[in-house]
Amino acid sequence: MMAIRELKVCLLGDTGVGKSSIVCRFVQDHFDHNISPTIGASFMTKTVPCGNELHKFLIWDTAGQERFHSLAPMYYRGSAAAVIVYDITKQDSFHTLKKWVKELKEHGPENIVMAIAGNKCDLSDIREVTMKDAREYAESISAIVVETSAKNAINVEELFQGISKQIPPLNSHENGNIGTIKLAKQTSQTSRRCC
Amino acid sequence: MANSNSSSLSRRSACRHKRNSNPAKPLRRAVDVAGLKDVCQVAVRSLLRTEEAFLSSLARINDIVLQPLLRTDSDDQKGKEHMKLLLLLSDRYHALWDRTEENYKTLKQKYNTSESSLTVHDIYIILKKNLFLEVYTQYFTCFTNYAVVHGFDRAAKQTSGYWKTNKKMLKQLLAPSISEPTISISLHLVLHESIRSQVQQYALILTRLNENAEEVDEKNLVSDALNLYVKLQNFISQSLDEASLTKTLWGSLGSKLVSSLCIPERRLQEDSKCVPVSISTGRFERVLLFDDLLVLQGSDFRSFDLKLVWVDPVSPEKSTPTSHSLRIITPEEEFLLSSKEAQHKAVWQWKLNQVIRQRLDEKRDFPLWGKSEEGLDPCASRFSTYTFKSECRFKNAVYEGEFSWGKPHGKGTLKWPDGHNYVGDFKEGLEDGFGICLIPHSSEDGYDCYKCHWSEGKMQGYGICEYSDESVYKGYFKDNLRHGFGILKSPVSTKHPFKYTGHWDSDKKMGYGIWDDIESGQRYIGMWQNDQRHGAGIVVMQSGACYQGTFLMDKMTGTGILISEDDSVLEGKFTEQLKLDGKGKLTFQNGFTLEGNLNNKAGKDRQTQGVLNTTSKEQDYGITRRLQLGLDEFPVEKRWQGIYDPFFEFISSGCREETEESFLGIHVQTSKELRKSQEYLFCQRDSEEISGKIEDVLEALYECQDPESLQSYLQKALNSSQHPFGKLLKSLSAVFQATYSGIGANWHLLHMAQEEVKYHAWKIWEFYRNFTHVASKQKGKPLPDTEEDTEGSEKENPYTLILPLILPRFHPELFMLYMLYHEKEDAFYWQGIVRLGLFSDTKLLEFLEVQKNLWPLKDLRLTTNQRYSLVRDRCFLSATECFQKIITTVDPREKLGILLKTHEEIETIVSRVMEKEYKLPMDDLLPLLVYVVSRARIQRLGAEIHLIRDLMDPKNEGGIYDFMLTAIESCYEHIQKEEIRLYRFP
Repeated sequence: MMAIRELKVCLLGDTGVGKSSIVCRFVQDHFDHNISPTIGASFMTKTVPCGNELHKFLIWDTAGQERFHSLAPMYYRGSAAAVIVYDITKQDSFHTLKKWVKELKEHGPENIVMAIAGNKCDLSDIREVTMKDAREYAESISAIVVETSAKNAINVEELFQGISKQIPPLNSHENGNIGTIKLAKQTSQTSRRCC
Repeated sequence: MANSNSSSLSRRSACRHKRNSNPAKPLRRAVDVAGLKDVCQVAVRSLLRTEEAFLSSLARINDIVLQPLLRTDSDDQKGKEHMKLLLLLSDRYHALWDRTEENYKTLKQKYNTSESSLTVHDIYIILKKNLFLEVYTQYFTCFTNYAVVHGFDRAAKQTSGYWKTNKKMLKQLLAPSISEPTISISLHLVLHESIRSQVQQYALILTRLNENAEEVDEKNLVSDALNLYVKLQNFISQSLDEASLTKTLWGSLGSKLVSSLCIPERRLQEDSKCVPVSISTGRFERVLLFDDLLVLQGSDFRSFDLKLVWVDPVSPEKSTPTSHSLRIITPEEEFLLSSKEAQHKAVWQWKLNQVIRQRLDEKRDFPLWGKSEEGLDPCASRFSTYTFKSECRFKNAVYEGEFSWGKPHGKGTLKWPDGHNYVGDFKEGLEDGFGICLIPHSSEDGYDCYKCHWSEGKMQGYGICEYSDESVYKGYFKDNLRHGFGILKSPVSTKHPFKYTGHWDSDKKMGYGIWDDIESGQRYIGMWQNDQRHGAGIVVMQSGACYQGTFLMDKMTGTGILISEDDSVLEGKFTEQLKLDGKGKLTFQNGFTLEGNLNNKAGKDRQTQGVLNTTSKEQDYGITRRLQLGLDEFPVEKRWQGIYDPFFEFISSGCREETEESFLGIHVQTSKELRKSQEYLFCQRDSEEISGKIEDVLEALYECQDPESLQSYLQKALNSSQHPFGKLLKSLSAVFQATYSGIGANWHLLHMAQEEVKYHAWKIWEFYRNFTHVASKQKGKPLPDTEEDTEGSEKENPYTLILPLILPRFHPELFMLYMLYHEKEDAFYWQGIVRLGLFSDTKLLEFLEVQKNLWPLKDLRLTTNQRYSLVRDRCFLSATECFQKIITTVDPREKLGILLKTHEEIETIVSRVMEKEYKLPMDDLLPLLVYVVSRARIQRLGAEIHLIRDLMDPKNEGGIYDFMLTAIESCYEHIQKEEIRLYRFP
């Protein structure tokens, strides 16, 4: 049987940019064999195949309000990946995104995979952030970038596939011995040592 | 008599009535009864005749012989003893005479009045055979006792004057066949011959009666009696023979031997002069077997009480064809009896065993050598008393108890003359098993009392020692010394009261241990060597300050750190009084450092020259407070090895019941259990009790395969003081308290404590697994579920199975550490809670920026003068109440479950408000959670959250529980923010 790898993914971005909509779309679109419990739209899981592994995404939503910003480290500690969402129709949200990237670089887990999602691409006629700006910025921080539409289910799947691809595969022999490897485990422990 | 007769007749007629189908038999029976009556009368007549003669003979012997003998004076000691024996003899003589006369008279009278009604039942020697047996055996016992000690020889001498004149009369009493006997022989003969021949007469009468009696019942009576008198005859002749052999022996032996061995009751049973055997120890040449002693005689002699003699026939293969040996085993000596003839060996072996058996029964066979279960060897296990003589540990000690093959074996008591004693189990001559030992103190007037397990004569395994100075040790021993884990506690009244909880080696403190100096209120947690603090150590003080450093032979050495109550950290060399010696570095709580000469003198402000460094990073704030001690110095897996090792040894030695206590400690009933067991007397059995017997334990663990029954079994096991797991947990919680309670409640020890609890859960899990392996091995069956550790499914593990069960025992101390650790945050949080408590529900929802469409105002019913803005503590009430349940359990798993339920409650309420199923994204959920947390008003929430996080199953990390806990934690952090704590109402 295929090994299941649990990957903690953290969702960051301004309130109203559609963080949880993307995840809802991602989780709902495919029929999941074993329906895992969720915390509303705040915590969801989904398992997808990747190579000879199964990636079980544990997706943690965060509150986008400015006043809760300082609580974010609790949520992104131990994450294998972060999905940072902005609204292509709101320049401000792209600005917030940059702040998150900066914070993750400084305080986030090492080797965290960053994926930038420009949501609401169905509204590209009122866009404020150009595709080019986003690409250039993503390249500068070597992050994945896609424009998505949770509403029309555009690029949602691709976003997570992109993350899967960026996760370094396990050694083949380790793979055979141990069923479950939790990437999150080691990293979270080291990060907690400080407190 | 007549009555019983008629009843037997009527019984017979009843018989006849029954069997009247066959008319021939009853007819014959009637004839038989008549014939029997006839035979009886004949027997009665001859009995009366012989008794008449016997009685007159007894009277004459009494007058002519017995009475004159009794009139002699006894002047010396020996004479007095002889007279005592003679008086006893006379007593028995009269008893015999009286019994005979009484019965004779009764029979005679009946014979005279109604001869025709006489039956077998009237013949008293049949009916009262046991009475006659008793008086005769007693008489002959007394008679031979007197004869053996040469009583008749002495009596003859003393009464020689009398016999000069009365010799003729004496001669008349003897059978004419004997020519010119000496006075002594005459007396001997007169006093037993007629009595002995009377038994013969009885036997004769009964023989005749037996031949003629045909009726079955009666015949049995007669033949039984006849058998008895024949046996009595045998007995009499055997005891006379024995007596004469013994008497001859005493005559032939030296006076020293005689004076120490010769007593009236002792009889020679075998003599190596008759049946030759040689003795392996050279000094002796003759073996004498008495009925109570085995005597080796040479120039000197040795005697052995037969109660403590074992005979081991050396197997034929080992003995040479020309020598056949018996090994004689006594408590302190062993030797061989060898003979050239196999036959001789057989005689000695048989006789020795028979005599030993009789000695142990304290009863001679009747008749002698004639026990029906012949050849029955004596029991190897015996109860006796013995005083050790040879040079050894037991010298002069008296042992009373069970022996086997010459050695104390079984239960017994050993007492030395100096008051030292041992009561308990023995095995092959040494203390082995459980025993209580008292050792007197030479200087004081007291005893050290050891209640301990022993092996091969030494204290090994678990024990409790109450020393004469009232200090008490509870722990493990090895070779009589404290070794392994143990707790030593001094009495409170002593000059320097203390308590040590830790490891020992050869009576000295060694390894990891906790020392409480009760006087100064200091606790040392760390390494020991040779009774001295040595190695890494932590000293915690009542003030809350603590020191960590290195000790060298009880002295502090090198640099250490002193964390004071205000969380400033001083690094440097310290004096014994924990004053800085020389230069040091002081780190303040805020991360500022000061380096230099920091000697602080009492009564003065700190005056010092040093370099103050204020350039530390902002993150350093609080770094001193978070400092955790002992983690690297005392690796958790090495801390309490002394508790785990015996448990592991017990399992790896195969879980034998008899070793359980020595490995796992003694079950001491607590008063609570005592009360329970008393209640048990009146009420029904408490179903909570489970067996601690190891076989039951293994069986139960094997049976409990499904998680639920296993959990309920382990729950009971861990709470039972008899169960191995219960015993283990008791020790573990004792050491936990010894370390972290009281003075040890210092938050710098939090991580040590927390990892210790987790490790205990791991270990118990491991032992549980080991137990089930032993169980399956013993059953010869594999475990039903052999798939182990495959697939990270929801399998039981130490966190899910064990930790929730053991946590209640550690929770008070552990939670105290968490409370101390999070004291400041919890205080800030509480300020926030108080502030938010001032808001009404709608104001709070607004303040928290909860979207209006989520406000559950529809749920609220308002009275006429109420407005929404006044309502408090009504919104999301069910979620708040659910969340409050978090403090009703100590189990992290249950607490996490409560968090999920709290979310469900919130979602239910929101869906009702929205009138559709609504999945809350975090943007909406977090404000609602803050609302619920602030309304729930749980004290010490920070301590709660971190205890859950540290002790939850690591599998949960990243998962739904982790998320929910993080969400609550973020609420907790949020409430601490200044904007909330210090919020001013507009």
